[in-house]
Amino acid sequence: MKLINVTTKNRIRKIVVYAIYIILLSSLQVSFPERISFLGQTADLVFVFVVLSGYFNGFWDGAVVGFISGMIRDVFSPPAVVGLDGEVRVTAFVGVFTLFAAGIIGASFFTRRMHRNIPFSIVSVIFVTVCYKVAGYILIYGWSNLAGIESSLYEPLTAFVYSFLPQLLLNTLAAIPLIVLLRFLGPVSFRDTKKDDEIIEQGESTWLGI
Amino acid sequence: MKKLLKSKWFIALIVLLVLAAGAILSLLPGSPIKNLLKPVQLVSSPAQSLVKKAGDTLSDFWSAITDGIAIREENRALKEQIADLRYRLTQNEEAALRYEELKDALHIKDMFSNYEIYGASILSRESDEWFSTIRLNAGVTDGIALEEGNSYPVLDVEMNLVGRVIETSDKESRVLPLLHEGFAVAGKVNEVNGTTFMIYGDAELKRQGLCLVKDIDPNVLIEPGMEIVTSGDGGLFPEGIPIGVIESVDYSNPLNVTATLRPYSQIGKLEDVFIMIPYVEETAEETAATVV
Repeated sequence: MKLINVTTKNRIRKIVVYAIYIILLSSLQVSFPERISFLGQTADLVFVFVVLSGYFNGFWDGAVVGFISGMIRDVFSPPAVVGLDGEVRVTAFVGVFTLFAAGIIGASFFTRRMHRNIPFSIVSVIFVTVCYKVAGYILIYGWSNLAGIESSLYEPLTAFVYSFLPQLLLNTLAAIPLIVLLRFLGPVSFRDTKKDDEIIEQGESTWLGI
Repeated sequence: MKKLLKSKWFIALIVLLVLAAGAILSLLPGSPIKNLLKPVQLVSSPAQSLVKKAGDTLSDFWSAITDGIAIREENRALKEQIADLRYRLTQNEEAALRYEELKDALHIKDMFSNYEIYGASILSRESDEWFSTIRLNAGVTDGIALEEGNSYPVLDVEMNLVGRVIETSDKESRVLPLLHEGFAVAGKVNEVNGTTFMIYGDAELKRQGLCLVKDIDPNVLIEPGMEIVTSGDGGLFPEGIPIGVIESVDYSNPLNVTATLRPYSQIGKLEDVFIMIPYVEETAEETAATVV
Protein backbone atom coordinates (compact mmCIF):
# COMPACT_ATOMS: atom_id res chain seq x y z
CA MET A 1 0.00 0.00 0.00
CA LYS A 2 1.36 3.39 -0.94
CA LEU A 3 1.11 5.97 1.79
CA ILE A 4 2.37 8.88 -0.30
CA ASN A 5 1.94 9.19 -4.02
CA VAL A 6 4.75 10.14 -6.41
CA THR A 7 3.70 13.79 -6.78
CA THR A 8 3.63 14.31 -3.01
CA LYS A 9 6.99 12.55 -2.66
CA ASN A 10 8.50 14.81 -5.31
CA ARG A 11 7.03 17.86 -3.68
CA ILE A 12 8.43 16.91 -0.25
CA ARG A 13 11.81 16.19 -1.81
CA LYS A 14 11.74 19.56 -3.53
CA ILE A 15 10.91 21.40 -0.30
CA VAL A 16 13.64 19.57 1.64
CA VAL A 17 16.26 20.26 -1.03
CA TYR A 18 15.25 23.92 -1.23
CA ALA A 19 15.38 24.23 2.57
CA ILE A 20 18.89 22.77 2.67
CA TYR A 21 20.10 25.12 -0.07
CA ILE A 22 18.55 28.18 1.55
CA ILE A 23 19.96 27.50 5.03
CA LEU A 24 23.37 26.45 3.75
CA LEU A 25 23.85 29.31 1.30
CA SER A 26 22.44 31.96 3.66
CA SER A 27 24.76 30.75 6.43
CA LEU A 28 27.84 30.59 4.20
CA GLN A 29 27.07 34.07 2.89
CA VAL A 30 27.24 35.72 6.31
CA SER A 31 29.71 33.39 8.04
CA PHE A 32 32.62 33.59 5.60
CA PRO A 33 31.99 36.64 3.39
CA GLU A 34 35.70 37.51 3.21
CA ARG A 35 36.37 34.27 1.31
CA ILE A 36 33.98 35.17 -1.50
CA SER A 37 34.88 38.86 -1.79
CA PHE A 38 36.71 40.83 -4.44
CA LEU A 39 37.32 44.58 -4.64
CA GLY A 40 35.02 45.23 -1.69
CA GLN A 41 32.09 43.29 -3.16
CA THR A 42 30.85 39.89 -2.00
CA ALA A 43 29.47 37.15 -4.24
CA ASP A 44 25.78 37.00 -3.40
CA LEU A 45 25.22 33.24 -3.31
CA VAL A 46 21.64 33.51 -2.05
CA PHE A 47 20.70 36.12 -4.63
CA VAL A 48 22.11 33.98 -7.46
CA PHE A 49 20.36 30.89 -6.11
CA VAL A 50 17.01 32.69 -5.97
CA VAL A 51 17.39 33.95 -9.55
CA LEU A 52 18.34 30.48 -10.79
CA SER A 53 15.42 28.88 -8.92
CA GLY A 54 13.06 31.30 -10.62
CA TYR A 55 14.71 30.88 -14.01
CA PHE A 56 14.71 27.08 -14.02
CA ASN A 57 11.62 26.25 -11.99
CA GLY A 58 9.27 29.11 -12.74
CA PHE A 59 7.50 32.03 -11.13
CA TRP A 60 6.17 30.45 -7.93
CA ASP A 61 9.42 28.70 -7.06
CA GLY A 62 11.30 31.97 -7.57
CA ALA A 63 8.78 33.88 -5.51
CA VAL A 64 8.61 31.44 -2.59
CA VAL A 65 12.36 30.74 -2.47
CA GLY A 66 13.03 34.49 -2.73
CA PHE A 67 10.56 35.28 0.05
CA ILE A 68 11.97 32.72 2.50
CA SER A 69 15.61 33.48 1.67
CA GLY A 70 14.82 37.17 2.11
CA MET A 71 13.39 36.60 5.59
CA ILE A 72 16.56 34.77 6.58
CA ARG A 73 18.66 37.59 5.14
CA ASP A 74 16.66 40.08 7.21
CA VAL A 75 17.52 38.05 10.30
CA PHE A 76 21.21 37.46 9.49
CA SER A 77 22.36 40.80 8.08
CA PRO A 78 19.63 43.40 7.72
CA PRO A 79 20.63 46.78 6.33
CA ALA A 80 20.85 49.71 8.72
CA VAL A 81 19.32 52.88 7.34
CA VAL A 82 19.17 56.47 8.55
CA GLY A 83 15.52 57.07 9.43
CA LEU A 84 13.50 60.23 8.82
CA ASP A 85 14.42 61.38 12.34
CA GLY A 86 18.16 61.06 11.59
CA GLU A 87 18.65 57.97 13.77
CA VAL A 88 20.26 54.89 12.25
CA ARG A 89 17.92 51.90 12.53
CA VAL A 90 17.96 48.28 11.53
CA THR A 91 15.29 47.67 8.90
CA ALA A 92 13.03 44.68 8.35
CA PHE A 93 11.69 43.21 5.09
CA VAL A 94 14.21 44.91 2.80
CA GLY A 95 15.83 41.50 2.25
CA VAL A 96 12.45 39.87 1.55
CA PHE A 97 11.55 42.65 -0.87
CA THR A 98 14.88 42.34 -2.71
CA LEU A 99 15.02 38.58 -3.01
CA PHE A 100 11.30 38.17 -3.74
CA ALA A 101 11.69 40.67 -6.60
CA ALA A 102 14.87 38.90 -7.77
CA GLY A 103 13.03 35.56 -7.83
CA ILE A 104 10.13 36.79 -9.92
CA ILE A 105 12.30 38.81 -12.30
CA GLY A 106 14.59 35.78 -12.71
CA ALA A 107 11.52 33.71 -13.57
CA SER A 108 10.22 36.15 -16.11
CA PHE A 109 12.98 37.03 -18.53
CA PHE A 110 14.66 34.83 -21.12
CA THR A 111 12.81 31.81 -19.76
CA ARG A 112 10.31 30.71 -22.37
CA ARG A 113 12.07 31.90 -25.49
CA MET A 114 15.33 30.36 -24.36
CA HIS A 115 13.64 27.18 -23.08
CA ARG A 116 15.26 27.76 -19.68
CA ASN A 117 18.61 26.69 -21.10
CA ILE A 118 21.80 26.81 -19.03
CA PRO A 119 23.78 29.52 -20.89
CA PHE A 120 20.88 31.93 -20.64
CA SER A 121 20.52 31.25 -16.92
CA ILE A 122 23.86 33.07 -16.57
CA VAL A 123 22.53 35.93 -18.71
CA SER A 124 19.53 36.02 -16.39
CA VAL A 125 21.80 36.24 -13.31
CA ILE A 126 23.72 39.12 -14.93
CA PHE A 127 20.51 40.90 -15.91
CA VAL A 128 18.93 40.62 -12.44
CA THR A 129 22.21 41.67 -10.77
CA VAL A 130 22.27 44.82 -12.91
CA CYS A 131 18.61 45.49 -12.01
CA TYR A 132 19.45 45.03 -8.30
CA LYS A 133 22.41 47.39 -8.39
CA VAL A 134 20.60 50.09 -10.38
CA ALA A 135 17.50 49.86 -8.17
CA GLY A 136 19.68 49.89 -5.05
CA TYR A 137 21.46 53.10 -6.04
CA ILE A 138 18.20 54.78 -7.07
CA LEU A 139 16.56 53.79 -3.77
CA ILE A 140 19.50 55.04 -1.69
CA TYR A 141 19.57 58.30 -3.61
CA GLY A 142 15.79 58.74 -3.29
CA TRP A 143 15.72 57.85 0.40
CA SER A 144 18.66 60.16 1.17
CA ASN A 145 16.81 63.03 -0.49
CA LEU A 146 13.58 62.19 1.33
CA ALA A 147 15.28 61.91 4.72
CA GLY A 148 17.31 65.06 4.03
CA ILE A 149 20.60 63.32 4.71
CA GLU A 150 23.87 63.69 2.86
CA SER A 151 24.33 60.51 0.85
CA SER A 152 27.86 59.31 0.22
CA LEU A 153 27.08 57.57 -3.04
CA TYR A 154 29.65 56.56 -5.63
CA GLU A 155 30.16 58.70 -8.71
CA PRO A 156 28.63 56.84 -11.71
CA LEU A 157 32.01 55.75 -13.12
CA THR A 158 33.30 54.65 -9.70
CA ALA A 159 30.06 52.76 -9.10
CA PHE A 160 30.48 50.99 -12.44
CA VAL A 161 34.11 50.04 -11.88
CA TYR A 162 34.06 49.24 -8.16
CA SER A 163 30.50 48.13 -7.54
CA PHE A 164 28.81 46.86 -10.71
CA LEU A 165 31.72 45.09 -12.41
CA PRO A 166 33.09 43.15 -9.39
CA GLN A 167 29.55 42.18 -8.34
CA LEU A 168 28.70 41.00 -11.85
CA LEU A 169 31.91 39.01 -12.06
CA LEU A 170 31.43 37.41 -8.64
CA ASN A 171 27.76 36.59 -9.19
CA THR A 172 28.52 35.10 -12.61
CA LEU A 173 31.27 32.95 -11.12
CA ALA A 174 28.97 31.92 -8.25
CA ALA A 175 26.29 30.92 -10.76
CA ILE A 176 28.47 28.21 -12.32
CA PRO A 177 28.84 25.90 -9.28
CA LEU A 178 25.25 26.63 -8.28
CA ILE A 179 23.97 25.54 -11.70
CA VAL A 180 26.02 22.34 -11.39
CA LEU A 181 24.58 21.74 -7.91
CA LEU A 182 21.05 22.40 -9.09
CA ARG A 183 21.60 20.11 -12.05
CA PHE A 184 22.90 17.14 -10.07
CA LEU A 185 21.20 17.52 -6.69
CA GLY A 186 17.95 19.05 -7.86
CA PRO A 187 15.37 20.37 -7.48
CA VAL A 188 15.62 21.58 -11.05
CA SER A 189 14.29 19.44 -13.80
CA PHE A 190 16.25 19.87 -17.02
CA ARG A 191 13.65 18.21 -19.17
CA ASP A 192 12.75 19.52 -22.60
CA THR A 193 10.85 22.72 -21.91
CA LYS A 194 10.02 23.63 -25.50
CA LYS A 195 6.37 22.87 -24.89
CA ASP A 196 6.34 25.63 -22.25
CA ASP A 197 6.65 28.25 -25.00
CA GLU A 198 4.04 30.91 -24.49
CA ILE A 199 2.20 31.70 -27.70
CA ILE A 200 0.51 35.08 -27.63
CA GLU A 201 -2.29 35.66 -30.10
CA GLN A 202 -2.83 39.29 -31.07
CA GLY A 203 -5.42 39.68 -33.78
CA GLU A 204 -4.06 37.88 -36.79
CA SER A 205 -0.48 37.85 -35.47
CA THR A 206 1.11 35.15 -33.34
CA TRP A 207 3.98 36.01 -31.01
CA LEU A 208 6.34 33.87 -29.00
CA GLY A 209 6.46 35.11 -25.42
CA ILE A 210 9.84 35.76 -23.84
CA MET B 1 -11.68 41.69 -12.14
CA LYS B 2 -11.53 38.00 -11.16
CA LYS B 3 -8.85 37.47 -13.78
CA LEU B 4 -6.85 40.37 -12.39
CA LEU B 5 -7.09 39.05 -8.82
CA LYS B 6 -5.83 35.64 -9.97
CA SER B 7 -2.98 37.12 -11.99
CA LYS B 8 0.41 36.17 -10.56
CA TRP B 9 1.76 39.59 -11.42
CA PHE B 10 -1.02 41.29 -9.51
CA ILE B 11 -0.33 39.08 -6.48
CA ALA B 12 3.41 39.79 -6.76
CA LEU B 13 2.76 43.52 -6.96
CA ILE B 14 0.57 43.44 -3.84
CA VAL B 15 3.22 41.43 -1.96
CA LEU B 16 5.92 43.90 -3.01
CA LEU B 17 3.81 46.86 -1.89
CA VAL B 18 3.12 45.22 1.49
CA LEU B 19 6.83 44.45 1.92
CA ALA B 20 7.81 48.01 0.99
CA ALA B 21 5.29 49.34 3.54
CA GLY B 22 6.69 46.92 6.14
CA ALA B 23 10.26 48.09 5.44
CA ILE B 24 9.27 51.75 5.86
CA LEU B 25 7.27 51.01 9.03
CA SER B 26 10.26 49.18 10.51
CA LEU B 27 12.16 52.48 10.47
CA LEU B 28 9.73 54.06 12.91
CA PRO B 29 10.97 54.31 16.51
CA GLY B 30 9.86 51.30 18.57
CA SER B 31 8.25 49.63 15.59
CA PRO B 32 6.94 46.17 16.56
CA ILE B 33 6.96 44.97 12.96
CA LYS B 34 10.41 43.39 13.37
CA ASN B 35 8.85 40.87 15.77
CA LEU B 36 7.33 39.18 12.73
CA LEU B 37 10.81 37.88 11.90
CA LYS B 38 11.36 36.31 15.34
CA PRO B 39 10.08 32.83 14.36
CA VAL B 40 12.49 32.85 11.40
CA GLN B 41 15.31 33.83 13.76
CA LEU B 42 14.47 30.93 16.10
CA VAL B 43 14.85 28.43 13.27
CA SER B 44 17.64 29.96 11.22
CA SER B 45 20.08 31.10 13.94
CA PRO B 46 20.93 27.62 15.29
CA ALA B 47 21.29 26.32 11.75
CA GLN B 48 23.66 29.15 10.87
CA SER B 49 25.72 28.55 14.03
CA LEU B 50 26.04 24.91 13.01
CA VAL B 51 27.20 25.80 9.50
CA LYS B 52 29.66 28.35 10.90
CA LYS B 53 31.09 25.82 13.37
CA ALA B 54 31.44 23.23 10.61
CA GLY B 55 33.15 25.78 8.38
CA ASP B 56 35.50 26.86 11.17
CA THR B 57 36.35 23.23 11.95
CA LEU B 58 37.15 22.54 8.30
CA SER B 59 39.18 25.72 8.10
CA ASP B 60 41.10 24.81 11.26
CA PHE B 61 41.72 21.30 9.97
CA TRP B 62 43.07 22.67 6.71
CA SER B 63 45.24 25.16 8.58
CA ALA B 64 46.57 22.38 10.80
CA ILE B 65 47.70 20.46 7.72
CA THR B 66 49.18 23.39 5.81
CA ASP B 67 50.66 25.29 8.72
CA GLY B 68 51.99 22.29 10.68
CA ILE B 69 55.66 23.19 10.43
CA ALA B 70 55.08 26.89 11.02
CA ILE B 71 52.90 26.10 14.03
CA ARG B 72 55.59 23.92 15.61
CA GLU B 73 58.14 26.70 15.18
CA GLU B 74 55.69 29.27 16.53
CA ASN B 75 54.89 26.98 19.44
CA ARG B 76 58.56 26.80 20.42
CA ALA B 77 58.88 30.61 20.24
CA LEU B 78 55.66 31.04 22.24
CA LYS B 79 56.91 28.71 24.98
CA GLU B 80 60.00 30.86 25.33
CA GLN B 81 57.80 33.93 25.37
CA ILE B 82 55.56 32.42 28.07
CA ALA B 83 58.58 31.74 30.28
CA ASP B 84 59.75 35.32 29.82
CA LEU B 85 56.25 36.71 30.49
CA ARG B 86 55.88 34.60 33.64
CA TYR B 87 59.06 36.13 34.96
CA ARG B 88 57.84 39.63 34.12
CA LEU B 89 54.40 38.91 35.60
CA THR B 90 55.95 38.04 38.93
CA GLN B 91 57.79 41.34 38.84
CA ASN B 92 54.69 43.28 37.79
CA GLU B 93 52.40 41.84 40.44
CA GLU B 94 54.06 43.92 43.07
CA ALA B 95 53.98 46.99 40.83
CA ALA B 96 50.24 46.44 40.25
CA LEU B 97 49.57 46.37 43.98
CA ARG B 98 51.52 49.60 44.32
CA TYR B 99 49.54 51.13 41.43
CA GLU B 100 46.21 50.28 43.07
CA GLU B 101 47.36 51.97 46.27
CA LEU B 102 48.47 55.05 44.33
CA LYS B 103 45.30 55.08 42.27
CA ASP B 104 43.15 55.21 45.37
CA ALA B 105 45.44 57.71 46.99
CA LEU B 106 45.64 60.09 44.05
CA HIS B 107 42.04 59.47 42.85
CA ILE B 108 43.19 58.54 39.39
CA LYS B 109 40.10 57.83 37.38
CA ASP B 110 40.42 54.70 35.30
CA MET B 111 39.34 55.53 31.79
CA PHE B 112 36.74 52.80 31.48
CA SER B 113 36.01 52.16 35.14
CA ASN B 114 32.44 53.42 34.68
CA TYR B 115 31.71 50.75 32.11
CA GLU B 116 30.91 47.11 32.36
CA ILE B 117 32.52 45.04 29.62
CA TYR B 118 30.62 42.14 28.03
CA GLY B 119 32.30 39.69 25.68
CA ALA B 120 30.48 38.44 22.57
CA SER B 121 31.26 36.46 19.43
CA ILE B 122 30.42 37.55 15.91
CA LEU B 123 27.67 35.33 14.50
CA SER B 124 27.31 36.84 11.06
CA ARG B 125 28.86 39.62 9.04
CA GLU B 126 27.69 41.80 6.20
CA SER B 127 26.32 39.81 3.29
CA ASP B 128 26.87 42.45 0.62
CA GLU B 129 27.50 46.13 0.00
CA TRP B 130 24.16 47.18 1.49
CA PHE B 131 23.12 44.39 3.86
CA SER B 132 25.82 45.39 6.25
CA THR B 133 25.09 45.00 9.94
CA ILE B 134 26.99 42.55 12.16
CA ARG B 135 25.22 40.08 14.46
CA LEU B 136 26.57 39.20 17.92
CA ASN B 137 25.62 36.29 20.18
CA ALA B 138 24.79 38.44 23.21
CA GLY B 139 21.41 39.98 23.85
CA VAL B 140 18.96 41.08 26.50
CA THR B 141 19.27 37.81 28.44
CA ASP B 142 23.02 38.46 28.71
CA GLY B 143 22.48 41.95 30.09
CA ILE B 144 22.71 43.88 26.81
CA ALA B 145 19.43 45.75 27.04
CA LEU B 146 19.15 48.76 24.78
CA GLU B 147 16.65 51.55 25.13
CA GLU B 148 15.31 53.48 22.13
CA GLY B 149 17.79 56.16 21.07
CA ASN B 150 20.60 54.63 23.11
CA SER B 151 23.67 52.76 21.87
CA TYR B 152 26.74 50.96 23.23
CA PRO B 153 30.32 51.07 21.95
CA VAL B 154 31.79 47.83 20.61
CA LEU B 155 35.55 47.20 20.82
CA ASP B 156 37.88 44.48 19.58
CA VAL B 157 40.22 42.44 21.78
CA GLU B 158 42.83 45.18 21.59
CA MET B 159 40.26 47.74 22.75
CA ASN B 160 40.04 49.47 19.35
CA LEU B 161 36.68 50.82 18.21
CA VAL B 162 34.66 48.40 16.03
CA GLY B 163 31.23 50.07 15.96
CA ARG B 164 28.18 50.46 18.14
CA VAL B 165 25.23 48.28 19.13
CA ILE B 166 22.04 49.63 17.53
CA GLU B 167 19.55 46.86 18.26
CA THR B 168 19.20 43.99 20.67
CA SER B 169 16.91 40.99 20.83
CA ASP B 170 16.67 38.26 23.47
CA LYS B 171 19.88 36.48 22.52
CA GLU B 172 21.44 38.64 19.84
CA SER B 173 22.64 42.18 19.17
CA ARG B 174 23.21 44.05 15.93
CA VAL B 175 26.22 46.26 15.44
CA LEU B 176 26.61 49.22 13.11
CA PRO B 177 30.25 48.91 12.00
CA LEU B 178 32.66 51.83 11.92
CA LEU B 179 32.80 51.82 8.10
CA HIS B 180 28.99 51.98 7.65
CA GLU B 181 27.69 55.15 5.95
CA GLY B 182 25.45 55.87 8.94
CA PHE B 183 28.27 55.73 11.50
CA ALA B 184 29.56 58.91 13.15
CA VAL B 185 31.86 59.43 16.12
CA ALA B 186 33.62 62.45 17.61
CA GLY B 187 37.38 61.96 17.55
CA LYS B 188 40.57 63.78 18.47
CA VAL B 189 44.28 63.55 17.95
CA ASN B 190 45.71 61.39 20.70
CA GLU B 191 47.69 64.05 22.53
CA VAL B 192 47.06 66.51 25.33
CA ASN B 193 44.41 69.01 24.17
CA GLY B 194 44.40 67.33 20.74
CA THR B 195 42.14 68.96 18.16
CA THR B 196 38.67 67.44 17.79
CA PHE B 197 36.63 66.59 14.66
CA MET B 198 34.00 64.17 13.41
CA ILE B 199 34.66 60.78 11.83
CA TYR B 200 32.09 59.30 9.45
CA GLY B 201 31.61 56.09 7.51
CA ASP B 202 31.60 56.76 3.76
CA ALA B 203 30.31 54.54 0.96
CA GLU B 204 33.14 55.34 -1.42
CA LEU B 205 35.93 55.02 1.16
CA LYS B 206 34.45 51.84 2.60
CA ARG B 207 35.82 49.65 -0.18
CA GLN B 208 39.34 50.86 0.75
CA GLY B 209 38.65 50.21 4.43
CA LEU B 210 38.79 53.93 5.29
CA CYS B 211 36.63 56.48 7.14
CA LEU B 212 36.11 60.16 6.37
CA VAL B 213 37.29 62.83 8.84
CA LYS B 214 35.39 66.14 8.64
CA ASP B 215 34.94 69.35 10.59
CA ILE B 216 38.69 69.78 10.97
CA ASP B 217 39.88 73.17 12.21
CA PRO B 218 41.78 74.63 9.20
CA ASN B 219 44.27 76.29 11.54
CA VAL B 220 45.37 72.98 13.01
CA LEU B 221 47.92 70.76 11.32
CA ILE B 222 46.78 67.19 10.85
CA GLU B 223 49.33 64.80 9.42
CA PRO B 224 49.26 61.23 8.12
CA GLY B 225 50.24 58.74 10.79
CA MET B 226 48.62 60.67 13.68
CA GLU B 227 46.72 58.41 16.06
CA ILE B 228 43.02 59.24 16.50
CA VAL B 229 40.98 58.33 19.56
CA THR B 230 37.41 59.05 20.64
CA SER B 231 37.04 62.52 22.12
CA GLY B 232 34.16 61.68 24.44
CA ASP B 233 31.99 64.46 22.94
CA GLY B 234 28.35 63.46 22.60
CA GLY B 235 28.52 61.11 25.55
CA LEU B 236 28.06 57.87 23.64
CA PHE B 237 31.71 56.83 23.42
CA PRO B 238 34.03 57.41 26.39
CA GLU B 239 37.16 59.42 25.73
CA GLY B 240 40.33 57.66 24.66
CA ILE B 241 39.19 54.61 22.68
CA PRO B 242 41.70 54.14 19.83
CA ILE B 243 40.04 54.44 16.41
CA GLY B 244 42.88 54.44 13.89
CA VAL B 245 45.51 56.53 12.14
CA ILE B 246 45.22 59.37 9.64
CA GLU B 247 45.93 58.07 6.14
CA SER B 248 45.78 61.30 4.10
CA VAL B 249 44.74 64.93 4.53
CA ASP B 250 43.13 67.23 1.95
CA TYR B 251 43.80 70.93 2.57
CA SER B 252 42.74 71.96 -0.97
CA ASN B 253 39.63 73.72 0.37
CA PRO B 254 40.57 75.69 3.51
CA LEU B 255 36.90 75.96 4.45
CA ASN B 256 36.39 72.23 4.27
CA VAL B 257 39.51 70.38 5.33
CA THR B 258 38.96 66.63 5.21
CA ALA B 259 41.07 63.58 5.90
CA THR B 260 40.86 59.83 5.61
CA LEU B 261 41.39 57.50 8.53
CA ARG B 262 42.39 53.85 8.52
CA PRO B 263 40.73 52.11 11.48
CA TYR B 264 42.85 49.81 13.62
CA SER B 265 40.07 47.29 13.83
CA GLN B 266 39.82 44.88 10.88
CA ILE B 267 36.23 43.78 11.06
CA GLY B 268 36.63 41.01 8.49
CA LYS B 269 39.14 39.22 10.72
CA LEU B 270 37.37 39.63 14.05
CA GLU B 271 35.85 36.68 15.90
CA ASP B 272 35.22 38.17 19.35
CA VAL B 273 34.34 41.69 20.46
CA PHE B 274 33.51 43.53 23.69
CA ILE B 275 30.45 45.66 24.40
CA MET B 276 30.87 48.57 26.83
CA ILE B 277 27.82 49.30 28.93
CA PRO B 278 27.89 52.25 31.31
CA TYR B 279 27.00 51.55 34.93
CA VAL B 280 23.68 53.12 35.75
CA GLU B 281 23.92 55.17 38.91
CA GLU B 282 21.16 54.18 41.29
CA THR B 283 18.90 57.01 42.36
CA ALA B 284 18.16 57.56 46.03
CA GLU B 285 14.69 56.06 45.58
CA GLU B 286 16.07 52.93 43.94
CA THR B 287 18.67 52.53 46.67
CA ALA B 288 16.00 52.85 49.31
CA ALA B 289 13.86 50.28 47.50
CA THR B 290 16.81 47.87 47.36
CA VAL B 291 17.45 48.30 51.10
CA VAL B 292 13.77 47.68 51.90
